[in-house]
Amino acid sequence: MKFNIDDLPVLFPYPRIYPEQYAYMCDLKKTLDAGGHSVLEMPSGTGKTISLLSLIVAYQMYYPEKRKLIYCSRTMSEIEKALAELKALMKYRSDELGYVEDFRGMGLTSRKNLCLHPSVKREKSGTVVDARCRSLTAGFVKEKKDRGEDVQVCIYHDNLDLLEPHNLIPTGVWTFDGIMKYGEQHKQCPYFTARRMMSFCNVIIYSYHYLLDPKIAERVSKELSKDCIVVFDEAHNIDNVCIESLSTDITEDSLRRATRGAQNLETKISEMKESDSEKLQNEYAKLVEGLRDQDEAREEDAFMSNPALPDDLLKEAVPGNIRRAEHFVAFLKRFIEYLKTRMKVRQVISETPPSFLAHLKEYTFIEKKPLRFCAERLTSLVRTLELTNVEDYQPLQEVATFATLVATYEKGFLLILEPYESDTAEVPNPVLHFTCLDAAIAIKPVFDRFSSVIITSGTISPLEMYPKMLNFTTVVQESYPMTLARRSFLPMIVTRGSDQVHISSGFQVRNEPSVVRNYGHLLTELSKVTPDGMVVFFPSYLYMESIISMWQGMGILDEVWKYKLILVETPDAQETSLALETYRTACCNGRGAILLCVARGKVSEGIDFDHQYGRTVLCIGVPFQYTESRILKARLEFLRETYRIRENDFLSFDAMRHAAQCLGRVLRGKDDYGIMVLADRRFLKKRNQLPKWINQAILESEVNLSTDMAVGTAKKFLRGMAQPFKASDQEGISTWSLKDLEAHKEKADEEIIRALREAQENPEGKEQIGDGMQVDPDDFGIDEDDEAAMMEIDA
Amino acid sequence: MIRNGASKSLESNPSDDICPVCKSNRYLTPSLQFLINPECYHKMCSTCVDRIFTSGPASCPVRYCGKTLRKKGFHKAFFGDLKVERECDIRKRVGAVYNKRQDEFETLLDWNNYLENVEGLVFDLVEGGKEDKMRAEEKLRAYKERNLGEIEANKRAGLEEIEMEKRRERAEKEAARQRRLAAVREAEEEKMDVEKSRREVLEKLASGEGDAREITEMAQKVVLKKSGARRIASEAILQSNGSAKDPNLTIRGLKKREAPVAEKPYEPFGGVDLAPSRYVLQEDYDSEWLANAKKDQRHAAGGFSLHEYYARTMFEAFSGLGVFIEDEMGSKALPAVPSSIGTEAAAEASTGKIKVEHKMELDDVF
Ligand code: SF4
Ligand SMILES: [Zn+2]
Ligand SMILES: [Zn+2]
Repeated sequence: MKFNIDDLPVLFPYPRIYPEQYAYMCDLKKTLDAGGHSVLEMPSGTGKTISLLSLIVAYQMYYPEKRKLIYCSRTMSEIEKALAELKALMKYRSDELGYVEDFRGMGLTSRKNLCLHPSVKREKSGTVVDARCRSLTAGFVKEKKDRGEDVQVCIYHDNLDLLEPHNLIPTGVWTFDGIMKYGEQHKQCPYFTARRMMSFCNVIIYSYHYLLDPKIAERVSKELSKDCIVVFDEAHNIDNVCIESLSTDITEDSLRRATRGAQNLETKISEMKESDSEKLQNEYAKLVEGLRDQDEAREEDAFMSNPALPDDLLKEAVPGNIRRAEHFVAFLKRFIEYLKTRMKVRQVISETPPSFLAHLKEYTFIEKKPLRFCAERLTSLVRTLELTNVEDYQPLQEVATFATLVATYEKGFLLILEPYESDTAEVPNPVLHFTCLDAAIAIKPVFDRFSSVIITSGTISPLEMYPKMLNFTTVVQESYPMTLARRSFLPMIVTRGSDQVHISSGFQVRNEPSVVRNYGHLLTELSKVTPDGMVVFFPSYLYMESIISMWQGMGILDEVWKYKLILVETPDAQETSLALETYRTACCNGRGAILLCVARGKVSEGIDFDHQYGRTVLCIGVPFQYTESRILKARLEFLRETYRIRENDFLSFDAMRHAAQCLGRVLRGKDDYGIMVLADRRFLKKRNQLPKWINQAILESEVNLSTDMAVGTAKKFLRGMAQPFKASDQEGISTWSLKDLEAHKEKADEEIIRALREAQENPEGKEQIGDGMQVDPDDFGIDEDDEAAMMEIDA
Repeated sequence: MIRNGASKSLESNPSDDICPVCKSNRYLTPSLQFLINPECYHKMCSTCVDRIFTSGPASCPVRYCGKTLRKKGFHKAFFGDLKVERECDIRKRVGAVYNKRQDEFETLLDWNNYLENVEGLVFDLVEGGKEDKMRAEEKLRAYKERNLGEIEANKRAGLEEIEMEKRRERAEKEAARQRRLAAVREAEEEKMDVEKSRREVLEKLASGEGDAREITEMAQKVVLKKSGARRIASEAILQSNGSAKDPNLTIRGLKKREAPVAEKPYEPFGGVDLAPSRYVLQEDYDSEWLANAKKDQRHAAGGFSLHEYYARTMFEAFSGLGVFIEDEMGSKALPAVPSSIGTEAAAEASTGKIKVEHKMELDDVF
């Protein structure tokens, strides 16, 4: 299907389009035209990815700037899906246009997924693959080889050097499978092919980390030009990704291993002094000059790189007291020793970077400036020493990164030393958390560098929270409702059991038998009416365990057992994936199954329960975070101080985004249907924080139900769903053919003209009235104990 | 896991728990505490220290050491690694002498070279052989002697800086505390407000005036407005706070104060040089009617000096030459704008709010 948005011709690879897709594309174009950032919420299962790709590809092809697209997603499977869609789109375009466009689209993932080397690829852990590959491909290995020394290299890598550097692979869209096959045929490494071709691609698809994790971003993404279009898909958790990428935990064990690393460096230095002191001398000379080695910057596989340093610093010369290799190692040792001493303290300490630095200086005479250069100096040293087993130096690198960060940022970070794992623990196991509190720090370079950044997800409400937290401004900020020809999902809020007792996972009541029994009853009843699969989310593992054992005692599980198989998610990934597989088999055969999982676990984030795999999702309790965590407390404080986000607002926002994620799991398309049950009385007040498309679908009569009412409604809904439903019924309402689209456009145009005319006639009259405040009718009459209960620990 | 355990037991090696002198160990005496003396850094337990050194200086009981130690010198080690402890002590000593600051250097390179030299010196002291150590000590001593004054000054500057930093930190902490209090207060107020309006609504409803729904709706609106207004107000406060506190806190960026310039002697003419520029005053002029004064002693008796006479005569003869009245009038017509006003105006112009009256004033000066 082919249509125009303004003057831009868009080729859409399906004969029909959803109205929300069209609206989404219009807003995307607006963002790109305006050259700003946007936050867009598009209901899940409405073809977000394909709309995005077809609009942006059309944009690229139509306008002469050929702005590159960087599409970031979270998981490997999402990236693969996007690549497949892109491939289909490009095929459709060439069929439609009659010629093949000059276009290259590529994905990037870790070496572990792309390696072809017969022995390296068999390694299980990603870091080992990385390390082994590095030892085969580092620059000096090649030099040695050229000198005729007998060293191992990777033939797949070296073959690349024989090719033209800007044309390692023909044009077209390359899925991971495709590029692996091509690499196998031509004996060239897929990983490095993708890495090196990055700047010659029109579309790049990879994981968030390549852009957000400063340690990786500098290496992988720095050649991308300013006018790139950056898209973060499934971005509802982006703030956490940002924070994690800059936070480190230091333990006694890691310090021990760092010390060992430093000792190794020391021996290596003295060895080199004897055998090849010239190299060290060269490095020294370079550092004196303050020149950043050009090819070093270009080297694609440095041991590590600098975490988010300001540019001016990078240009400065390394301070004199860490210029010499041996001085630097002594410096590191002193720093590590200091950290070890700090770890011996047996009470919780939380301090800001400046106060940490002051204390450090008092005891070790380490100044701030050389500390800032730590990471860079270490990289240089490791390269000079031509170390191959770099994974041994990982802990040392962590310490160096920590040193650099702590000396660079005064604000937005906090050091928290926790000597004991929990409050009741006897044996100390100290951890020094260096935590980033400000999500804006990691993402700032992205916003600074790229003119259009689009943040999108199925559940990213409330929209205004994200610009606030990440500290940017948007040109478009939109949430789309879902157009449906029939009511295909049924969200309900259950607040009471059949006995009219309120249900809640609030701290004081969560373990009361009446509440647990009511939850159990709800589960039993829903399992009776639900066909096939049913997914249940708990706020935490702890709570899940306790409630399951209570249910066991009450005989509830035995009852449920009659209707469904019961499977449970555990923190162990392998067990969980086994449970999932069994669950899927059970859903396809016979009575179906129930999967009990956790709202912040793996299942809630990445796994889809479409069609029979999920007909009902039940959210037991509001999934609040564990508020006693010191790190969370610090972050809350920071958010309030810096961005004026109140603790309660943030906690509630965070809980609701997870709830929305859980709900969104079951509805993966317009032909899908499902029941969404929010079982907690506190949801009543929070429903405004649900994504627009869910909130709108909740009828007033279904917000305050008891178990039996909910079951009745569900039965009625399911009966409705069982009626035959032809695709043609959707026509013109929830799917548009080209004709419908044209009609819509015409109407919209008329609308605009009419509005303009009206504005002309009475220029004052159309002023928007409103104080810009979000009216929240539920704010009134806040229930004191309820709010207090909400803030309680949700362990 | 197993490896972990192994390394752990390796780490807590017995030498950490047994006194090398009296061999008492931690399991029997849990209060065991190790002390060191920076003379030789041999560690021993506090009981040993009491036992050996209470009665006066004695030699170190560790074999082959034999250094004379005093009880006063013993203290607890900060670092687990005594080598580092020693290194830091040395650094302290060196740092107290070599305490130059970056702004004393012309270029970054010089500063870095200086840093490296100092580091090298420390290294010699820490790791060097006997000779290196001696040489380094000698260097340190010589430098100290040569630069006593400077060292003192830098030390003071360093202390000041630390003090400043501490003050800044305190101020920040206090500000944070205040903000937190304010937030708590705000939340409290909001709660009270809600409570109050709810009571009002109930009263109104109870008294039965007006439509029930209308009353509740009205009340809701009022509460919302209030909380919204409060939020806006507090945001404004935050903003003003933010801008107000900044200049105070960035004092650190100030240029280091310079040593005061020694006061010059008082000059009555304010720097005007009265030396003749158009002629050179000679020692002696030939004039016959002065010949008498030269010869006759009596002329000089009253203090008359021929030299003064020459000077005055010449000055009078030349005075007024080289003064061009037209030129001076012309240059006066252009008001000499003090340069500081110029920059001020430029600064204002750059911010985009030029004050016209200000300019007028300048013109009106004459
Ligand atoms: S160069 Fe490529 S094929 Fe060779 S080891 Fe590295 S990742 Fe594997
Ligand atoms: Zn002893
Ligand atoms: Zn001794």
